[in-house]
Amino acid sequence: MANLEKYNEIFTEVFGVDASALNDSFGKDTVDQWDSVHQLNLVSLLEEAFDIMLDPEDIMGFTSYAAGKEILKNQDVEI
Amino acid sequence: MAAIDTDGNHLRYGEIIELSERIEHLIPPRSLTFILTKNNVGGIAWVMATILSGSVPLILSAHTEPKLLQNLLETYRPQYVCCPADMTFEGSAISESMGYKLISLPNDKAVMNNELSHLLPTSGSTGSPKLVRHKYDNIEAAGLNISTFFELTDADRPLMVLPLHYTMGLSMIFSHFQVGATVLITDRNMTDPIFWKFMKEEKATSFTGVPYSYEILDKMRFMRMKLPDLTLLTQGGGKMPKELNLKFAEYCRDNGKKWIATYGQSEGTARMAWLPPEYAISKMGSIGIAVPNGQLSLRNPDGTFITTPSGSGEMCYAGRNVTMGYARCREDLMLGDERNGFLPTGDLAYRDEDGFYYIQGRMGRFLKIFGNRIGLDECEQIVKGVVTCECACTGNDERLIVYLTDIYETDAAKNSLVEAVHLPANVIEIRIIDSLPKNEAGKILYSNLNNE
Repeated sequence: MANLEKYNEIFTEVFGVDASALNDSFGKDTVDQWDSVHQLNLVSLLEEAFDIMLDPEDIMGFTSYAAGKEILKNQDVEI
Repeated sequence: MAAIDTDGNHLRYGEIIELSERIEHLIPPRSLTFILTKNNVGGIAWVMATILSGSVPLILSAHTEPKLLQNLLETYRPQYVCCPADMTFEGSAISESMGYKLISLPNDKAVMNNELSHLLPTSGSTGSPKLVRHKYDNIEAAGLNISTFFELTDADRPLMVLPLHYTMGLSMIFSHFQVGATVLITDRNMTDPIFWKFMKEEKATSFTGVPYSYEILDKMRFMRMKLPDLTLLTQGGGKMPKELNLKFAEYCRDNGKKWIATYGQSEGTARMAWLPPEYAISKMGSIGIAVPNGQLSLRNPDGTFITTPSGSGEMCYAGRNVTMGYARCREDLMLGDERNGFLPTGDLAYRDEDGFYYIQGRMGRFLKIFGNRIGLDECEQIVKGVVTCECACTGNDERLIVYLTDIYETDAAKNSLVEAVHLPANVIEIRIIDSLPKNEAGKILYSNLNNE
């Protein structure tokens, strides 16, 4: 499966939304449900799916769909 | 100093007294007031000053579901509502202080029992308007018991992330104010850099959390941080996963910190049992022994007490921190003490030869996911409201499992729970079954449904 699809699937699983709802403005400030529970669920699934380990700074900074992509890039995951 | 928050506000003990005197002048004594709190110094000030003034607050989150809030307003018809000054709430403000405004509502005065001190909701997430009725003596007892076993002093600076309207959060205030300590309160997520800065700069001496808080701490590589001032970690709100518990217990042992697991319920003004830190590893998984001035016991289904040193049964607690009972309607606020200091906890427990208690399961039907208490019967009602097929809710402390008899109702069921219970969708699992197992009377046999 392409990495982007994997990435999108994590969001649809955690937020129960359709992939079409995902875009770069999807994040903490625009999504009511986005709290620390959701954020850490995203982190756990992301670490599992891409076999990576995020730093505390990355976990704190993972506050949007766009930010997550940046984090993956810094971990050398092509997306 | 009584409290400091992440907005940089400070609260002196004297200011709480001043505010309580103002409240006494503003509103008639024994008024029912809803306080919609945020975790900041204003929230602490209004809650404590309202109690001190002799009026009776129902303490709620400022983020309470609008539907639940409406339900509570209609059920209890308070004369006053206190909420953050920037919150929209219909009615004219009669006073504003420390970031909160007091609003007068056109309701008549509720008749209330003289001993009633404050009210707490039983369920934040599933919408029940059932409240726990606390009395003044509960506050004193909880403050004394908890500050005794934690050995609190006025030099303590506890970091408070638990919400004020949550019994364990509120009991942190009672116990630390008992000794004149300074509460460091925040409404920041533990994934927010400001939270960590606050903890370090304000030199927090203790942290109190639910199992999920410790999962976050672990995830944030807490054990690699240098936090020399932090000497006490306390845990309540459900059982820790074994591995995580051991990790923190060993970390504390090796770093000169105390690790104290506790057990409590809102019905017992928070803590009823604690595991002394010297037993953190040898008795891991135990909730320990009764708090000072309290007694634990085990009861058989026939109501007789188990007198042998070890055994299993329903755990009961006796002590001055046992609350008066529940309120389901406005008239219930008149009721007196229905428990007389004795509380059957609804938890099944095992007591070992040394007198340490272990929780084995719950008699009632609810889960604790991410520290939130999820009532299964209430979840079922929510699902039944949107589906036409049969449904049954069960699960464990990691996921909520919903059995449905029609696969085409999957999305409707899941969406209704995501919206009402605020759980991430990936911890709600829908399973399809031909028919629900039932007994002859037509009651669902939950024990025949796989909950793993």
